[in-house]
Amino acid sequence: MNLIYSVLIAIPNETHHWLLPETAEIIYGGLASSIVFAGLYKFGWPMAVKAMAARTARIQRDLDAAADARAKSETDALSIRTALGDIESERQKILLEADTQAAAIITDGRVRLVKEVAELEAKAVADLAAARGRSGEELRGEISRLSSAATTAAVSATLNDRAQQDLIEGFITSVGASR
Amino acid sequence: MSDQRIEAYSRALFEVAHAENNLSVVEDELFRMARAIESNEELRSTLTDSSIPAQRRQQVVEELLGGKASNTTVQLVSLIIGAGRGRDLPAIVDRLVQRASSEQQREVAEVRSAVALSDDQKKRLTEALSKSTGRKLNLKVIVDTSVLGGLVATVGDEVIDDTVRTRLEQLKTRI
Repeated sequence: MNLIYSVLIAIPNETHHWLLPETAEIIYGGLASSIVFAGLYKFGWPMAVKAMAARTARIQRDLDAAADARAKSETDALSIRTALGDIESERQKILLEADTQAAAIITDGRVRLVKEVAELEAKAVADLAAARGRSGEELRGEISRLSSAATTAAVSATLNDRAQQDLIEGFITSVGASR
Repeated sequence: MSDQRIEAYSRALFEVAHAENNLSVVEDELFRMARAIESNEELRSTLTDSSIPAQRRQQVVEELLGGKASNTTVQLVSLIIGAGRGRDLPAIVDRLVQRASSEQQREVAEVRSAVALSDDQKKRLTEALSKSTGRKLNLKVIVDTSVLGGLVATVGDEVIDDTVRTRLEQLKTRI
């Protein structure tokens, strides 16, 4: 209470109130402040309004761009999802075809292998038979050759001059008697 | 060699032998020489080798036939070899033999034997073959040891084969 009182009561030794200004100061200060506020209102406010409007427009543009990007992303995502679906179906189709072809190849291969094995077996049997026959033929040929050589040698050894003359005379006689 | 050239050479040989009045002997000797060239590869290659000088080849002929054949035969063979026609000598001689046989209205009978035939055997063989074929024959005997024994006679297209070689071949075939 004493404090409030002491504030409100001017100090007798002081020229000015320790808290309240002079009236003139209040007037001049008020005028100056009014001028400053008027200037700010006159020149600063439009700029601030303009800056705010520009900022709003920029934000709006960013929002629009973000919306567009989002829409585009959604479209792209849809396309990708569609493509993924297509890829998946294509993959399934390719896998199915591959499975079918692999099954066909395996079947064909098995058939071909069975056939080839059968052919190889038949050829082997035929080769064996041929080799057996060839060996027999070669043996017979060798026997024939040796027999022939032996016969020729034996006959040549017996063909003395007398035998030669007998053969010649026999030829002359047989030819002369042939007609 | 063309047929015309062979014909020309055979005619020339024939005329020379005929002019020398030695046709029968020359023809026979040439025939044997031709068969020898046919059957002997070494002799054939020597007499037909153009890289050997003609003089040397003629010398070979003279050394080969000298004393064994008439002078006319040696000269005629030497002439053909010297002219570089050694390869055609058998064909030329065959044509000559045909010509000589035709002159006598005879056909050539080529007989191969492992051993030489006596004159009596040749005479009887000629008669037998003439009787068998019904043709007059000019007998040419070739000693060919490859027949081993017996005779094979060729008269035109007709072949009478009674050689040991053929019998052995038949035996071999049967075996």
